[in-house]
Amino acid sequence: MTTAQEREDLLAELSGQNKATIGSVLGTGSIGKATERADGTMEATIRIPEDAMAWEPSILVLPHGGKLELTIINDDKNTHACLLPSNGDRQFIGLLNHSKGRATLELDGPGCYWYGSPAGNDEGRGLTAAIVVTGEVPPEAKLDRPAQPRP
Amino acid sequence: MTVEYVDAGEAFNHNKLSNLPHSAPDVTRGINYERILQARTAEPNNWITYYGAYDGKRHSLLDQINVDNVKNLKVAWIHQASATGLIASTSTYAFEACPIVVDGVMFVTGWDGWLWALDAKTGDQLWRYKHAIPFDVTLCCANVNRGCAVANGKVYMVTQNAQLVALDATNGQKVWQKTIGDVRAGESASIAPLVIKDTLITGSAGGEYGVRGHIDCWDLETGEQRWRTYTIPKPGEPGSETWPADGEAWQRGGANHWVTGTFDPELNLYYAGTGNPAPDFDGEVREGDNLYTDSVVALDVDTGEIKWHYQFTPHDLWDYDSTMEMTLFERDGKKLLAHFDKNGYMFVIDRTNGELQHATPFVDRIDWGTISRDGKFMPRKYPDKEGEPCHFYPGPAGAKEWTHASYNPNHDLFYVPVADVGATATRRRREFKEGMPYWGAAVEVDVDNMAGSVSAFDSHGEEKWRYRMDMPMAASTLSTEGNLVFAGTPTGEFMALHAETGEKLWSFQCGSGHHSSPSTYSLDGKQYISVPVGWGGWLEGIIPGMSGQGHGAALITFAL
Repeated sequence: MTTAQEREDLLAELSGQNKATIGSVLGTGSIGKATERADGTMEATIRIPEDAMAWEPSILVLPHGGKLELTIINDDKNTHACLLPSNGDRQFIGLLNHSKGRATLELDGPGCYWYGSPAGNDEGRGLTAAIVVTGEVPPEAKLDRPAQPRP
Repeated sequence: MTVEYVDAGEAFNHNKLSNLPHSAPDVTRGINYERILQARTAEPNNWITYYGAYDGKRHSLLDQINVDNVKNLKVAWIHQASATGLIASTSTYAFEACPIVVDGVMFVTGWDGWLWALDAKTGDQLWRYKHAIPFDVTLCCANVNRGCAVANGKVYMVTQNAQLVALDATNGQKVWQKTIGDVRAGESASIAPLVIKDTLITGSAGGEYGVRGHIDCWDLETGEQRWRTYTIPKPGEPGSETWPADGEAWQRGGANHWVTGTFDPELNLYYAGTGNPAPDFDGEVREGDNLYTDSVVALDVDTGEIKWHYQFTPHDLWDYDSTMEMTLFERDGKKLLAHFDKNGYMFVIDRTNGELQHATPFVDRIDWGTISRDGKFMPRKYPDKEGEPCHFYPGPAGAKEWTHASYNPNHDLFYVPVADVGATATRRRREFKEGMPYWGAAVEVDVDNMAGSVSAFDSHGEEKWRYRMDMPMAASTLSTEGNLVFAGTPTGEFMALHAETGEKLWSFQCGSGHHSSPSTYSLDGKQYISVPVGWGGWLEGIIPGMSGQGHGAALITFAL
C-alpha cells in the first residue's frame, strides 16, 4: 500500500526529464483552474517550463463547456508546437523558443480532452496534457427520470 | 533582464496546413423531402439518404457494373484517414459509415467527430469538420459513427458525445449545434440522422449503461426540438405494465434507437428499431416483457406518437437488440416490413398495423429458445442463476449485428450478413450507478467456434443460396441492378456475388476488415462502388477471434 506522502515522493521521482524514465509520465504534473469572465468566457495560461517537456498545468480544469481563451507560453530553449481540441477543427500554433501566443477553443462539457505538441515525440516525452471540463449537460438534454445514484 | 517573448500569434485551424480548398459545390441546396422521396428512381446516380431510399432496401438501380464485367472492377481512388493523438476508444475505433453522394460530392463520417467532404470522382478532400470529442466519453462499443444526412444546403451528423451539428455543406462551417443526450448518464450517439419533411430524426445510444432510450425530431433549419418519444414508458403510460410496478427499472430500461429507421410516406410512419433492456442479462430486476425494448415501434412522424409496436424478444436475457433495419417491401398487395433480428429469426410484419405474418430462423445455430412461425416465443436457455455460466447461440452480437441486409425486388431476395457464434454469460448482479456499465453478467464470446455467411432469403423466409465463410459477417451488403451483391469480410476481402446464385465473381483485398455500409453512385456516365474500410468496433462481442487482426481507416472506391 502507498500512503499519500509516499505518493508525493514517488511522483517527485517521476517528475522531470531523463530521471525515473526517459520522459515525463503523463498526468503527473500540476493542476490548475481556468478563470471565468462575466460573460462566461473562460481564460487560462498554459506554459512549457525550461527543460520540462511538460505543460504547466498538466491538467487544466474548466467550470463548464463553452469558449476558452488560452495564453500559451513556451519558456523552453527548444521549439515546440501545440495542437488543441476545438469544435470545428483542432487549433494549431507553432511555438518558437521563448514565445507566447493565443488560442480560442470551443469545447462541449462535460469531458476530458487531451492536447499535445505534435513535433517529434514531444507528446511521448511529456508534452501531452488534459483539459477537464466539469459541469453537467444543459437541463433540456437530461433524461426525463428521477435523479439517479452515481459512483 | 526581461527578454520579450517572440509573438507566436493566434492558433488556427489545423486543416489550413493542407492542400484542401475548404469549399465544395453547393450540391445539397436542392435536396429536400420531395427529392428524397424519389431518391431511388429519379436519381440513382446519387445516394442521398442513409439506406439510399426511405424503404431501407439498399438496392441501387445502377447497372453499369454487372455480372458480366464486374471482374474488371478496379480501384478508382482511396481516401485515407486515421487517428492522431489520444482519442476515445484509441484501440477500437472503426469506420462504420455509409457514404452519402450528391452530384459529385461525397459526405462521409468517421470516428471521433470527423466528417469529410470528398470529390466523388477523384477522392480529393474538399473540406473537413472535426468535432472535439472527450477522451472519457462513454462508448459501449467503440468510437464510431454510421453516417450523415443532407438537405437544404447543409450536412447533419451526431457526435459521440451526443451532440447534433448542422454544417454548411459548401465549407463545413457549423451552422447550429444541439446537445441531444446526457453523457453523464452514459448516453452517446452514433446513428445517421434521417431527413423527413422539414425535420431530422435521431436516436440515442447507451443501452449498456442503464439509460432511458428516446427518439427525437428536430427542425432542419433551426435545430429546435419538435418532439421526443421515450422508448420506455413511464408509470401509467401504455406499456408501463410490462415493467415492475414498484421498482425503478423503467428509469434505466434501455431500448435505445441507435440505427437509422425507415419511413413510409403514405402511412406517415417512421419504423424505429430499439435496443436491449438494461441490465442486459439480469432479468430478475426487471420482471415483465419490458416494452419497448427489442421492438419495432411505428411512430407518427409528425407527433412522435407510437401507433403500434411489435416486440421481437420479450424480456430479453441475451442482449438481442432489434435496432437493425426494418426493410419496407410489398407482396401480394400488402405493405410489409422485414427484419432480421439478433435473436436469429427473420420477421415479416404488416407495416400498417404491426401484425406478424411469419417468423423464420435464418442462422444454423439457435438454442436460446425458439419462435414458432406464428410468433410464439419459447425461451429455453438464459443466464438465470447468479454465478452459473450459461452458453447460448447466437451470442450477444446476434445472428446479425447492426450491419444491414439489402433487398433485390427483382428476385424477392434479401442478402443477409449472417453471424453464427455463441457465447457464455454468467449472471453477476450489480447495483446501478449512473454512467457505469450495467450488464448484470460476465460475458465471453466463443473465440474459435464460429461461422458466417452472406445468405439469400426470399420474403417467405426460404433460403435460396448461401456464400459460406468460416467467420461471422460484420458488414452491410449492397444490392444493385447489375444483378450483384457487394459484401466485405472481416479479413478485408470486398466481394461481388451473383445476386441469383451467390457465386463469387470478383474480390479485392482491402487490407483491413469491413464493418461498414458500402454505397454506389455514378458520375459522368461512370458507376462507382464505395466502401469504408477500417476494422474495429465491438469486436470482443462480434468476432473476438479477429480482434487482434489490426486496424485500418480508409475509404476505397471502385469503378470499371
